[in-house]
Amino acid sequence: MDTLMSRKKRILCSVIAVLIAFLFLFPIYWLVQLSFKPDMEAFGRVLTYYPHTFTFAPWMENLDDPVFMTSLRNSFINAFLTMSITLVLGVPAAYGMGRYKVRGSRLFLLTFLISQMLPASLTLTPLYLIFNGVGLLGKHVTSPIAIAASAIPFAIVTLRPFFRSVPVTLDEAARLDGCGPLRAFFSVMVPAVKTGIITIVVISFLNGWNDLVYSMTFNVGADMRPLTANIYKFQSAYGTKWNCIMAYGTILVLPVVILFIFMQKYIVGGLTAGAVKE
Amino acid sequence: MLTAPFFRKGLDIMQKRMISVSAQRRKEAYFFILPAFVYILLVMGYPMVYNAVLSLKNMNVKNLKSGASVFIGFQNYAELFGNETFLLVLKNTFVFTIACLIFQFTIGFAFALFFKQNFPLSGIIRGMILISYMMPMAVTGLLGKNIFMNDGLVNNLLKRIGIIGPEWLTNTTSSLPAVIIMNCWVGIPFNMLLLISGLTSISNDVYESAMIDGANWGQRFFLITLPLMKSAIFAVLMLGFIYTFRAFDLMYIMTKGGPLNSTDVLGTYSYMFSFTQFQFSKGAATAMVLFACLFVVGMFYLHLLGKEEE
Repeated sequence: MDTLMSRKKRILCSVIAVLIAFLFLFPIYWLVQLSFKPDMEAFGRVLTYYPHTFTFAPWMENLDDPVFMTSLRNSFINAFLTMSITLVLGVPAAYGMGRYKVRGSRLFLLTFLISQMLPASLTLTPLYLIFNGVGLLGKHVTSPIAIAASAIPFAIVTLRPFFRSVPVTLDEAARLDGCGPLRAFFSVMVPAVKTGIITIVVISFLNGWNDLVYSMTFNVGADMRPLTANIYKFQSAYGTKWNCIMAYGTILVLPVVILFIFMQKYIVGGLTAGAVKE
Repeated sequence: MLTAPFFRKGLDIMQKRMISVSAQRRKEAYFFILPAFVYILLVMGYPMVYNAVLSLKNMNVKNLKSGASVFIGFQNYAELFGNETFLLVLKNTFVFTIACLIFQFTIGFAFALFFKQNFPLSGIIRGMILISYMMPMAVTGLLGKNIFMNDGLVNNLLKRIGIIGPEWLTNTTSSLPAVIIMNCWVGIPFNMLLLISGLTSISNDVYESAMIDGANWGQRFFLITLPLMKSAIFAVLMLGFIYTFRAFDLMYIMTKGGPLNSTDVLGTYSYMFSFTQFQFSKGAATAMVLFACLFVVGMFYLHLLGKEEE
C-alpha cells in the first residue's frame, strides 16, 4: 500500500512487528527453556521464566531411552515414506494435469480438490478395518499410505501451475531430439520445476513427521509408533516432569524448525501456491 | 497440509492457452495421471463409501471377526441425535470452529494489512511467525496443556496484572476457550499468509489514485480493499472452516475431549467410538455427520473455485 514510508513510521512499524514476533514465538521459547530446567525448578512452586540452573538432564533422559530412540527413528521412516509415495505418484500426475488437456481432466481435478478437503476422521475407521483385513496394521508403510492420500492432491494442486508455466517449446525440443515421454519428463520437465518439487519434498516430509492420528491408530504396538503418536506413553511415564516432556516436544519440533529456517521460501511459496509471482 | 488453489488464478490465466496435443499424447497423459487417481480412489474413495455403509451397520469389536454385523438402517444416527452428549459435541464443534474463524480471520487480516507494508523487518517476521503453523499440532497440544495449568504461565501472567485466572483445563466453562486460544496461535499466521497474497494482487495504482482523490485510510479500506478482496476473503473463510471443523490432534493431546466432554468435537468423539469403545459403526456415523457439515461448505468453496477457473 505505502511504498514510501516516512522514517518515523518505518521505525514504529518495526517495533510493533518485533512485539508481534515476541508474542508469537514466546510459546516456543517456553517449550525450549523448560526442557533445560532441572526437576526441582520445572515443577517447583515458583514459576521461573528462564532456567536458573541450566541442565541437559531432561534431554539425556529422553535420548538414553531406547523406546524414545525407536520412536525417533519411526518418525523419520514415517516422514520419508510419506514423501516418497507423494513424489512418485504426485509429480507425474501434476505434470499430466498441467501439460495435457484430456477427457476427464475436470473429473480428475475435482477428485483431487475434494480429497484434499476430506477429514482424516472420515477414512480412519474404514481404513483401520481394511488394513486389519489385509494384514497391514503395524507395518511401517501403513500410516504413510494414508497420509500420502492427502499429500498427493496437495502436490498435484501445487505443482500443476508450475508445470504449466514451463514453455511448451522446452519439451517440444526434447521430443524432437527423440526423447520418449518418460525421458522428456525426467530430464526436461522435472528439472524445470525444481522449486515446486522442493516445496513438495519439504511439505510432504512434514506431513509424515507431524502426523498423529493415523500413526497412533494403525501402529498397534508402541515400538512401531513415531514420536507424535507416543506422546501419551511418555507423558504417563514422566508424570509431572514437564522438563522431560518439553525436551521430548523440543526434539519433535527441531527438524521442523531446521527445515523452516533453510526452506522457508519453498514452504511459504507452496502454501500460497503461486499467488505471489516471483 | 493446506493449499488455496484460488490464489493461483494469476498463473493459471497466463497458461489459459491450450497446449495442442495429438491423440498419442493424450494417451501419455493418462499414463501420468491415472496412478495417482487410482491411488486416491483406493485409499480415499473406497474407504469413504465403506464408511457410509459401515454407519448403517452395527459393527463392533465383537462381531468384527465373525462377520456377523448386520444392517440396522439409520439406527446409529437416531441414537446419536437422541444422545445429549453427542449434541453437546456437535455444539462444541461449531462453537470451536466459529470462534476460531472470527479471531483467526480478524487478527490475521489485521496482520496481513500490517505486514504487507514495506518496512525493514516485515518479511522476516512475517515468515518467522509461520512456524507455529508448521509444527506438529501434537506439540501445540502439549504446550497448551502446560501453559494453561492452574499455576502455569497464563495464570502467572494474569496474576501479574491482578487477575485471578480460572482453572482453565479442569473447568468445563474455560476449557474450550483455552483450546480455541491455542488453535488461534496456529491459525492466525496461516490466515495472514493467505490474505497477504490476496492483498498483493491489488494493484498499487488503485490506492495511489484514491489517495490523489483524497480518500482517507478508512475509505481506502472499505471502498477499495474489502470489495476487491471479497472472493479472497470468502475463500479464506471457507478453507478455514473446512480445516478447523475437522480438528482432532489439538484436543486429543491437550484435553482428550475433557473435562466432561467440554472440549470434545466430532473428530475426537468419532475416534472415541471407534478406537476406545470399538463401536466402529457408531464412529463411522459420527464421521458421516462431520462429513455432511463439511460437504455443504466444501460445495460453496468448489463452486467459487469453479467460477475463478472460468
